[in-house]
Amino acid sequence: MDAGTAQSVLLSGIVLGSLYALMATGLSLIWTTLGIFNFAHGVFMTIGAFIAWQIGADLGWGMGPAAGIAVAIAALIGLGCLSEFILVRPFLRRPDVVLVAVITTLSAAIFLENSALLVWGGRYKQLPPLIEGKVGMLSTAISTHEVLIIAVAPLTLFSLWAFLKFTRTGSAIRAVAQNRESALLMGMNVPLLYSLAFGLSAALAGFAGILLGSIRFITPGLGNEPLVKALIVAIFGGLGSLGGTIGAAYVIGLMEAISMFFIGLYWTPAVLFGVMIMVLLGRPTGLFGKR
Amino acid sequence: MRELLTGPNLARLICLLILILLPLVVPSPYIRHLLIITFIYAIVASNWDLSLGYAGVFNFGHIAFFAAGVYGSAIMSKTIGITPWLTIPLAGVIGVIAALIVCLPVLRLKGIYVVLVTFAFSQLCFQLVLSQEEITGGSMGMPLLPPLKIGDYNFARDGKFGYYYVGLFLLVLSTIYLHRLVRSRFGTSIIALRDNEDYAISRGISLARQRMLTLGLSAFFTGVAGGFYSTYVRVASPEIFGFGFLSLALSMLLLGGLNSIYGPILGAFVITLLSEAMVDLGPMRFLIISALIILMLLFYPGGLINAIQQTSSLFSKSGMAEKYIRKLVDR
Repeated sequence: MDAGTAQSVLLSGIVLGSLYALMATGLSLIWTTLGIFNFAHGVFMTIGAFIAWQIGADLGWGMGPAAGIAVAIAALIGLGCLSEFILVRPFLRRPDVVLVAVITTLSAAIFLENSALLVWGGRYKQLPPLIEGKVGMLSTAISTHEVLIIAVAPLTLFSLWAFLKFTRTGSAIRAVAQNRESALLMGMNVPLLYSLAFGLSAALAGFAGILLGSIRFITPGLGNEPLVKALIVAIFGGLGSLGGTIGAAYVIGLMEAISMFFIGLYWTPAVLFGVMIMVLLGRPTGLFGKR
Repeated sequence: MRELLTGPNLARLICLLILILLPLVVPSPYIRHLLIITFIYAIVASNWDLSLGYAGVFNFGHIAFFAAGVYGSAIMSKTIGITPWLTIPLAGVIGVIAALIVCLPVLRLKGIYVVLVTFAFSQLCFQLVLSQEEITGGSMGMPLLPPLKIGDYNFARDGKFGYYYVGLFLLVLSTIYLHRLVRSRFGTSIIALRDNEDYAISRGISLARQRMLTLGLSAFFTGVAGGFYSTYVRVASPEIFGFGFLSLALSMLLLGGLNSIYGPILGAFVITLLSEAMVDLGPMRFLIISALIILMLLFYPGGLINAIQQTSSLFSKSGMAEKYIRKLVDR
C-alpha cells in the first residue's frame, strides 16, 4: 500500500467518522437525558434529507440549499418535540419505559418511513453538493463536499458541547440528565427540557441526513443503514458520554474504511460487529461507558 | 383424563376442532392460505414472548432466528437437496444455533444494550444474506424451493390442504411446548429473574444460563416456522428482515398481550386478518398498524387478552366469567 492509497483510506475514514459522529451524538444525547433509545433517529435523517430536497433542489421547489437546510432543521426540531410528546412522555412513569420506548420509536420509524414513501415515492433523489468541485488534499483529490463534512461535523459538535457546557439551558439539560428528581425540586421545567433535548437530537439527525443526501441517493430507507452504524458507534463508545461517542465514531469510521480496503465491502459489517462483540465481552458498557 | 376436559382445556380443544374442520367447510383456498400464514406468525410471536415477555430479555433479534430457519431450510433443500420434511425440523436447530451466537455477547449485558446488540445482530444477518449472493441469492432471494411431497402427492398442488394441516400441527406442537415450558421449573425461574433479578440470583438461579436457555428454546420453533414458511411460499427473500415483518410480529405480540401464550396467537389472527383487509392500501397499511401499536400501548398496555379479561369482569357480577377467562389465558 503506497502513501497515496493510505491517505485516501484515511480521508474516507475521517469522512465516515464525521458523519457517524453527527448521527450517534444525537442518540447519545437522548440516552443521557431521557434514558431511552430512539429508533426513529435514522428516519429523522431521511426526513431531513427529503425536506431539504423538496425546498432546496431544482427538481423540488428550487429555493436554494440555504433555505432547504434552514426549513429542514426547523421542521426536524418540531418533529423531534412532537415525537417526544407522543412517543415518550406518556410512558415515562412506567417501569418498563425502556422497552416501551423501543417499541414506540420503532413504530414511529415505520410510520415516518412509509409516510415518506407516500409523499415522495420510491424514486431516487439526490441533493446537489453544497460546494461543487474537488480539492487536492495531501496527495489525493476529494470532493469539496467531503472536506465540508470533515470540517462541519466537528464544528457542529463543538457548538453542541459549548451549548451544553456554557449556556443556562445547556446546564439545565445536563442537570436533568444527572438527576431528574433534583432538577424537578429545583423548579426546572423537566418536560420542556426533555422536549428540547429530543428536538436538538432530531435536528442533528436531520443535518446528518442532509449531508448524507448529496453523497448517497435519498430513498425512504436512507436512514436505516446509518442508524445501525450509529447503534454500533453508540454501543462501542458506551452510551452516556458524548466525548466517548464522538471518539468511537471516528474509530469506527477509520476501521470501516480500512476494512473496506483490505477485506472488502461485503464483510465489513461482520468485522464491525465482531469488534463490537469483543469490546462488549471485555467491557459490557462500551469503551468509555460509565453506567 | 378428566382434567383434560375441564373448562379452559375444553375451550382450547373447541378452538382446535374448529380449525381442524374449517377447511372442510370453507371452500376457498385463499382463506386456507391466510390461515397458514397466520399459523406461522402465531408460532413466531408466541415463541418471541418467551424471551420478550416471560424472561424480560429485550430480544430484538427474534426475526433473525426466523430468517435463519428460512434460509437454512432453503439452502438445505434446494442447494444440498435434502427433503423438506427433514429441513423443516433442521431449520429449528439452525434457529437455535443463531440464538446461541447472539447469546454470546448478550449474556453479560443489561437493559438497552441487549436491545442494541440483538437488533444489530439481525441487521448484520441481513447484510450477510445480501452480500453472500452465490449462496443466498442476494437481494433476489432464492426462488422455486422444492415443496413438500409424499410419494407423488404434491403439497403445492392440492389447494393448500396439506400445508394447512402441517401448519396447524406445528402451531399445536409449539403451543404445547410453550405451555409445558412456562409451567416448568425453568419457566418459573425465568419469571423470577425478570421480576426480581437480585433475589432470584441469590436463590441460586444462574442468570447467564437461564438467558442462554431462554433464547435457545424460543428459537427452536421459530426456526421451524421459518423452514415451514420458506417451504410453503417456496421462496427465501431478504424482505423478511425488513421493518414490515418485524413490526407485524411485534404488533401481534403487543396487541395480543405480553406474558401469555394465547395472547400473541390471538394477536396473530387479528393482525393478519386486519392487514389482509387493508392490503389495497399499500404503504398506508403500515401507517395504520404502527399507529395502532402506539395507541394500544397508550390505552391497553396489557393487550387484547387483558382487555377481554377486563370487559368480561364488567359483565359478570359474580366474577365467574372473569375467573374462567383468566384461567383460559393464564400462561
